[in-house]
Amino acid sequence: MKILVCVKQVYDSPETLVFDEAAGRVTFGPHTVFRMNRYDEYALEEALRIRERLGDAVVDALSVGPPRVGKTIRRALELGANHGIHVQTRDETCLSAFDRAHLIAAASRGRGYDLVLAGIMAEDDMESQVGPLLAAVLGYGCATGVIFEELSADGREIAVEREVEGGSRECLSLALPCVLAIQSGINTPRYPALSHVLRARSAELECIEASSLAVPPPTQSLVCILPPAQGRQGEIIEGTAAEKADTLIHILREHSLLPR
Amino acid sequence: MSGRFFIIALHEGGRFREETWELVSFARRCGAADPVMMVLSDEGAIEQLACELAHRTGLDVVGLAGSHLRGYSAEAYIRTLVPFFRDASGKIRIAAAHTSRGIDFAPQLSAGIDACCITAVEDAGEGTFIRSLHHGRFRAEVRADRAKVVVTVLPGAFAPDDIAPGNPGKVGIVPAGDISLSTLSRGTRAPVHANMGLTRAEVIVSAGRGLGSGENIRLVTMLSSLFPKSALGATRAVCDQGWLDYSHQIGSTGNTVSPRLYLACGISGAVQHLAGMKNSGMIVAVNTDPDAAIFRVAHYGIVEDLTTFIPLLVDRCLKRE
Ligand SMILES: Cc1cc2nc3c(=O)[nH]c(=O)nc-3n(C[C@H](O)[C@H](O)[C@H](O)COP(=O)(O)OP(=O)(O)OC[C@H]3O[C@@H](n4cnc5c(N)ncnc54)[C@H](O)[C@@H]3O)c2cc1C
Ligand SMILES: Nc1ncnc2c1ncn2[C@@H]1O[C@H](COP(=O)(O)O)[C@@H](O)[C@H]1O
Repeated sequence: MKILVCVKQVYDSPETLVFDEAAGRVTFGPHTVFRMNRYDEYALEEALRIRERLGDAVVDALSVGPPRVGKTIRRALELGANHGIHVQTRDETCLSAFDRAHLIAAASRGRGYDLVLAGIMAEDDMESQVGPLLAAVLGYGCATGVIFEELSADGREIAVEREVEGGSRECLSLALPCVLAIQSGINTPRYPALSHVLRARSAELECIEASSLAVPPPTQSLVCILPPAQGRQGEIIEGTAAEKADTLIHILREHSLLPR
Repeated sequence: MSGRFFIIALHEGGRFREETWELVSFARRCGAADPVMMVLSDEGAIEQLACELAHRTGLDVVGLAGSHLRGYSAEAYIRTLVPFFRDASGKIRIAAAHTSRGIDFAPQLSAGIDACCITAVEDAGEGTFIRSLHHGRFRAEVRADRAKVVVTVLPGAFAPDDIAPGNPGKVGIVPAGDISLSTLSRGTRAPVHANMGLTRAEVIVSAGRGLGSGENIRLVTMLSSLFPKSALGATRAVCDQGWLDYSHQIGSTGNTVSPRLYLACGISGAVQHLAGMKNSGMIVAVNTDPDAAIFRVAHYGIVEDLTTFIPLLVDRCLKRE
């Protein structure tokens, strides 16, 4: 069984982003720290668990992005992935989900993956598209919001539960190969084992230039980045911490929300 | 913007999701004079569903029917919708709600018909679509560079369109043919985390990742004990960490609540969380980040570190009694 996990590198906290309102652009600031997209941590953990259950599976971790994303791929190796693939883009230019899905498809075609795992959503762009788009490009089946999976004994199909509104679950069986977009909470991601950390340090990442892959022209263009729609509707309570506390207590008592 | 506009109405258990009526407003916002409603189901239910749509919206309805559409799967939807749209020419916009099903099939539909796909759309510009990113701190204005566009629209971004009086639209039922699927739909399972305590509470003190550690749950517990009919809520992030169990989760995949007071502590205000609490009577947020999205829905905002502010608040409240 060959499993591919798509891992995206995202910034850790939106507070470090720099917004140039006049130019309509957002850039990373000097203090921006990067890490693995949280939903992809769950996807990777699930792949590692499948490998442990089967005994003889291989888990590849792939990321599309500029040189800095190599660190996130190495993080996947530290957690236990067998092999890292870096589809390297030249700069920070935003690629749409369509572009990224096509790059991943082009890089993974012919490698015989039985199962491809992605996160349900990237925390930065929040598109929730790459998993299902990748499935469509590869001609695989797909389920999103996956919160439970169980491979059949013959390894030909997989039973999944997808989480929907209100927390109910839709139960399906998919034929392999397929793509699953994983929802958080499916498992508890592990900490890296020391042996893996040491191995990851010296491991070679397979590097593929994005420009060497044949992909269709983009389907969309970014016009600009805008501030949020509505301004603040409520009131920010000012003062020292103690004054803020007193003001809040006063407001809550006025509205009979807090006993006097 | 000219061209045809289609709305895919999603339904469960014989009922349309509320977002269906919001999509009609969205179509109008996009300047579509006569959007066409679409509904997919098995032969037994299609007639009634399609007629209900035609009556409620006054718009023309296309019902696509097939036995493979008895239960939902992305494959069933895509294999039905792709042939319908693939060979159509000219400008076509297709809208579905950004729900668990919408985001399941919309990207795959777009791939099958060489369309552009734009998700989590919350507004429309001049031939462009506007979507939220970076935890709701910014929005992106995006232009589609294909004749066909599939969009998913954020629930709650548009008010539901009023029910059309009198004049129902025309209904056409189209058999989708016999399609055998490789996905097997095996029904649904009820939520594991419904919590009556939360729905009954007058005050909900809710914890986010900003708590920093499971140990700090004691802070929100302490705060909630100030209020007589209170309960503890949480974001999905808190439940995923195991700091509280999933019965406390509030949001699109958790509980929906509307207490008199919602106290959000260390919560960023992601759309999926807002979906479960934005109708609360009064929202108070405590967050270190003055630009956090939660402050845009809060009636009162406090920019402080909750680990020092909550003990101070509790302390001053008890002292004044
Ligand atoms: C399909 C889907 C369904 C989802 N369903 C839900 C759902 O039902 N419910 C839900 O909640 N989420 C849901 N999510 C997840 C959602 O997108 C967010 O990831 C989640 O709500 C974030 O939780 P948070 O606000 O606790 O954490 P974060 O977004 O990490 O925010 C933490 C906040 O704490 C602040 N903070 C940090 N330190 C402090 C401090 N010391 N004092 C005060 N403030 C501090 C930070 O400034 C930040 O704003 C869903 C996601 C998907 C993709
Ligand atoms: N640049 C990328 N490299 C690798 N995987 C990605 C990349 N972008 C998105 N993905 C995968 O697709 C999922 C959904 O991302 P998105 O559609 O961008 O919200 C993520 O959780 C990742 O698993």
